[in-house]
Amino acid sequence: MKKVSFAHMGYSYLGFKQLVEDMGFEAVVPPSPSPATLDRGVTYAPEYACIPFKMVLGTYLEVLERGAEMIITSGGVGPCRAGLYGMMHERILRNLGFNFEIFIFDPPLTGLWPFFIKLRRILKAAGLSWLAFVDVVRRAWAKLKLLDELEQLATSIRPYELKRGETTRTFHSCLKIVDQARTLQELAAAREECRQLLQNIPRDTGRRPLKVGIVGEIYVLLEPFMNLEIEKTLGEMGVVTHRSIYLTQYTATDVLARGAQDVRQLAHPYLNQFVGGHGQNSVGETILYARNGFDGVIQLSPFTCIPEIVAKSILPRVSRDLGIPILSLTIDEQTGRAGVETRLEAFVDLLRQRREQMEARSNAALLPGY
Amino acid sequence: MALHIGFPRALIYYTHFPFWQAYFNRLGIEIVTSPLTTKAILDDGAREAVADACIPIKLYHGHVLTLKDKVDAIFIPRMVRTNKRATFCPKFLGLPDMVRATLAHLPPIIDLQVDAGRGLWGLWPTCRGLAELLGCSLWRAWSAYREGRHHQHAYQKLLLAGYLPLQAMAKLRGEAVEAPAREPGALKLAVLGYPYQVYDQYISLDIIGKLKKMGVNVWTMEMVHPARLYRLSSRLPKRLFWHFSNLVLGATYHYLQQGNIDGIIHVTAFGCGPDAMVDKIMELDIRKLSRGQLPFMSVSIDEQTGDAGITTRLEAFVDMLHQRRGNR
Amino acid sequence: MQPCYLGIDVGSVSTNVVVITAAGEVLSSLYIRTHGQPIQAVKEGLRRVKATLPGDVIIAGAGTTGSGRYLAGAIIGADIVKNEITAHAVAARLEVPEVQTILEIGGQDSKIIILRQGVVIDFAMNTVCAAGTGSFLDQQAARLGIPIENFGELALKARHPVRIAGRCTVFAESDMIHKQQMGHNIEDIIGGLCEALVRNYLNNVAKGKEILAPIVFQGGVAANAGIRAAFSKALQQEIIVPRHFAVMGALGAALLARDYVNNNRETKFKGFEVAEEEFRARSFTCQGCSNLCEIVNIEEEGSIIARWGSRCGKWDTLGE
Repeated sequence: MKKVSFAHMGYSYLGFKQLVEDMGFEAVVPPSPSPATLDRGVTYAPEYACIPFKMVLGTYLEVLERGAEMIITSGGVGPCRAGLYGMMHERILRNLGFNFEIFIFDPPLTGLWPFFIKLRRILKAAGLSWLAFVDVVRRAWAKLKLLDELEQLATSIRPYELKRGETTRTFHSCLKIVDQARTLQELAAAREECRQLLQNIPRDTGRRPLKVGIVGEIYVLLEPFMNLEIEKTLGEMGVVTHRSIYLTQYTATDVLARGAQDVRQLAHPYLNQFVGGHGQNSVGETILYARNGFDGVIQLSPFTCIPEIVAKSILPRVSRDLGIPILSLTIDEQTGRAGVETRLEAFVDLLRQRREQMEARSNAALLPGY
Repeated sequence: MALHIGFPRALIYYTHFPFWQAYFNRLGIEIVTSPLTTKAILDDGAREAVADACIPIKLYHGHVLTLKDKVDAIFIPRMVRTNKRATFCPKFLGLPDMVRATLAHLPPIIDLQVDAGRGLWGLWPTCRGLAELLGCSLWRAWSAYREGRHHQHAYQKLLLAGYLPLQAMAKLRGEAVEAPAREPGALKLAVLGYPYQVYDQYISLDIIGKLKKMGVNVWTMEMVHPARLYRLSSRLPKRLFWHFSNLVLGATYHYLQQGNIDGIIHVTAFGCGPDAMVDKIMELDIRKLSRGQLPFMSVSIDEQTGDAGITTRLEAFVDMLHQRRGNR
Repeated sequence: MQPCYLGIDVGSVSTNVVVITAAGEVLSSLYIRTHGQPIQAVKEGLRRVKATLPGDVIIAGAGTTGSGRYLAGAIIGADIVKNEITAHAVAARLEVPEVQTILEIGGQDSKIIILRQGVVIDFAMNTVCAAGTGSFLDQQAARLGIPIENFGELALKARHPVRIAGRCTVFAESDMIHKQQMGHNIEDIIGGLCEALVRNYLNNVAKGKEILAPIVFQGGVAANAGIRAAFSKALQQEIIVPRHFAVMGALGAALLARDYVNNNRETKFKGFEVAEEEFRARSFTCQGCSNLCEIVNIEEEGSIIARWGSRCGKWDTLGE
């Protein structure tokens, strides 16, 4: 049985693991990124490549050493560099003497034919019919969607939890339950069970948490190790976070269809051009969060990420115009937990004081003479 | 009084200025360029621009600042594509927006798009848009466009003949410029990199001038026809997304194929996103295609890079090449 | 009469002076701090080295290298002024003729030199920051209040060197403080610093280079046993530290000078007397453009012997 592996991105590895296994391969599940993974990636990656590049390279080195023979990954159409990462990773790894197969899937809309050919080759290797494949994909997709749904639910519950850390613990047991579920029926049952578990977490509903939107580059947004578990940290500080990107929604809108047009439309007064990656989205989503009464926005970007640098230079203007505080965090292999936590705490304090001030002012307006 | 339009002496200045100068002049518009880069301009740009940006982008901000009180408008075209095969780096795509969001009290910015990937007409749609904006007749715009193309062709020809961009522009202006001379028997080096990085004498620390003083014959990517560079760059399993990057890689393959140069130097800016890829590909492919025989050095430059450090590297590289020659 | 050759390496942190015999034997070597005063350092070095030399020595050739090589060259009247890469390679080749890799870590810069069949085929120097250099250790040693001389010994005692992140000294420092506050013992922290320096060096300076044995490790930092151990651990190879590791640049300059004058050339060396002469570096700011270049004039007994500093080259030729 061929040993197949893929990159690690958030909790999606559970979905891809099932996809690969259901196709009849042996899945080499990529280990959760660790400092050691990053170290290895940093050793062989160009110094000014972004941290997703380095981390994924480190992950590939680990799975290849565990015996992976085939890597499946995504390509892209640019102008973000990520679209070339598959090719670059392959060259660097081959130069190190690794022997493996790699399938890089560009979005089907840019070339249906190559997409089809590559897929057919994989299916042939797997000995799978097209019909059976559709079924396999349906189940994997359902799992990915469920994972996104549960993560969103956990994020919305965390700020209200009575016992700090309970939501995260429960969420991790949910991941185990989801991992066990294979068929659509089992997934539906797992969904019920996990929702129940999360809903049953004792909560203080009287809290009035701050609302913070999180925008930025997809990999650092999705991979908790990369963003130093920003959503958990903020949630446990009593902040409701809303993340602008989830994998299934991203795949559905950006990869398979024409992209999040509305959000980009919103960005036009500030950035009237698609600049690759999520640069334009970051601007548009910030505007959206401001309009929807969020207290603040955090932009996460890998160091040297080109589209996010463009966004970063424009966001201060958006912040001034719409009166929404924005914290830009740049992430690279230097980023230390202590530094990020300090900045997050300070930002949350700022938002809290700001809200109190604004409320005091509007109270004063309500009660003239008092 | 004629309208004054500012053209920052940075980024596309080194590739497209002759066209735009001729175009605007023909329309009776005065083009004002910013002065040659100085420390003050770079410092101003670095202070204003977002900290993570690369030097050329910071420098561009500095050049815009020098123009802001001298002109009626600043021309910052949004460079998207000049051919179907590649776009410009995202920082070019968002350039007018970045400048507008970052710098205060600017005159109007003319940020028409250059997206020649859409049709066969190259820069004409942009020129037509400009004419509408400036209230010129289409007929005048067309003749100005033709004039621009004429100048651009003359410029291209000089580059292919071995003139460096600044010399070629001086020659076009009618100044006396020495014809490019080659020292027979001297070391031959290909100095590759983005034109706005290599030819800005300040931020490149005049690498080319320094090499010439050491008696080295310098070859650059402008001395090869862009069509050939594009053809060669398609050797990669997947073409790079960015225009200038394809040219640099194409030139790498060109000089590798020629086989008569002693070494390749890649000049890159600290924090340049595309170059993280380009530099690695150059390193791997030069080693592979020359079987490890062709020396390659990449010189990364940032605001703090000192003249002494660069001189030491260049001297050491040239020494090494002489030693290798002697050994053969 | 014994013809000997003088080499001077003026770096930002230290100035080294070496005198060798025609056979390449080191007669005298000296390592002094530059303290930001290269002229003083060169004069001091000449004075002290002269005192150690036997009376029958005459200097038949002189070479300079290092970041202050032009200055030193102008002062002493050097026959050859060479960059550090070439000088280091020449010196290492003398001590270990088959050397294929040279790791060099000095006070403020570091380099790697790759040789094959005795010829330099590739090299790299640290680019922007000091993380892969000796000053990184100096700073952290000062911060920990431990003399740098004891660093190596303590590092060897580390059982579980901590992982200190950061390619930049500032980041590394905050991470180190963090680790201290977490209660790690000092040996493990020092061990971690040594490994961090080596990691930074290998990831930045030596990235992508084929490091083959024999590997020579030189420069001031080679005195540090902790770094030596970290290198052999990381590279899984034996690390050779040459006898004169701290003054290899100067040694190389002396060797280059020897080879240069051996083609029957008369030396331009002005003699040890220059140590007693009055040299002054005067600088002024050129107002020619907004670059505001700092132009430096080197004056010997009141007359200008060298000048540099302008970007445009306007001041490069000496107006007689």
